[in-house]
Amino acid sequence: MNDLDTLLPAIVAGDADAFGRFVAGAEARVRDSIASFAVSVDLEAVVQECMLRIWQGAARFVPDGRPHGLVRLAIRIARNLAVSETRRHRPELLPDAPLPEPAVEPQAPDPMLREVIARCRERLPGQPAAALQARLDGPWRADAELAEALGMRANTFLQNFTRARKLLARCLAEHGVDVATELA
Amino acid sequence: MTDDERRALIEQVAGAWRPRGPHGELRNHPGWHDLDDDGRREAAALAAAMRRLEAALDPDGLSTTAKAVLARIRGPR
Repeated sequence: MNDLDTLLPAIVAGDADAFGRFVAGAEARVRDSIASFAVSVDLEAVVQECMLRIWQGAARFVPDGRPHGLVRLAIRIARNLAVSETRRHRPELLPDAPLPEPAVEPQAPDPMLREVIARCRERLPGQPAAALQARLDGPWRADAELAEALGMRANTFLQNFTRARKLLARCLAEHGVDVATELA
Repeated sequence: MTDDERRALIEQVAGAWRPRGPHGELRNHPGWHDLDDDGRREAAALAAAMRRLEAALDPDGLSTTAKAVLARIRGPR
């Protein structure tokens, strides 16, 4: 994948689609860079807050000539947020040593994973497939709201989603995909 | 908390939905505060794995995190 800094002019101009391409390439790197804070901060909230700050502050970003500058900035913001939250709530968990140098090269979904998971998804039964689809289509809605839209109780929705995840994991494992361990 | 309740909580926290504060700021998932340290680690690992899968399922490579962020920028589509 190319350097995501090439998207900067479009992002500064307010092109949300271009920003979506940036988030798609940078998200995993940002999440990985703060993984060691999983106990002291809600990583999902930090990743989303970090991306919103990049969108709001892109016009002020000054490249330093090195590649992947915007991804490095996102990682710096995410780590600062994580350290700040940890200092407030769990100071005993602040790292003693400097954090390791993060990987910054953008990541794109593996084409083979795309193909396999699409096939696995087609095999999901109705209710689990509907729960998965609801989360994919409306991640800005709480599970209770998604459940209501599907005519399910909240617990039933979660059970169906869990079932979808486990069935996907089993199917992916059958195809030798390594992400299946965390999903099972 | 029973084992089933704990698993349901981890499933919720591993999702991308996060509430907003009174000024639109992002907040932690309410269930995250109820998880113990191991539960938080499990939720984070599950979220990372799910985001990878979601991106692979989306034609534009957008995970639910990316979609949630974009929805905040331009409103849900």
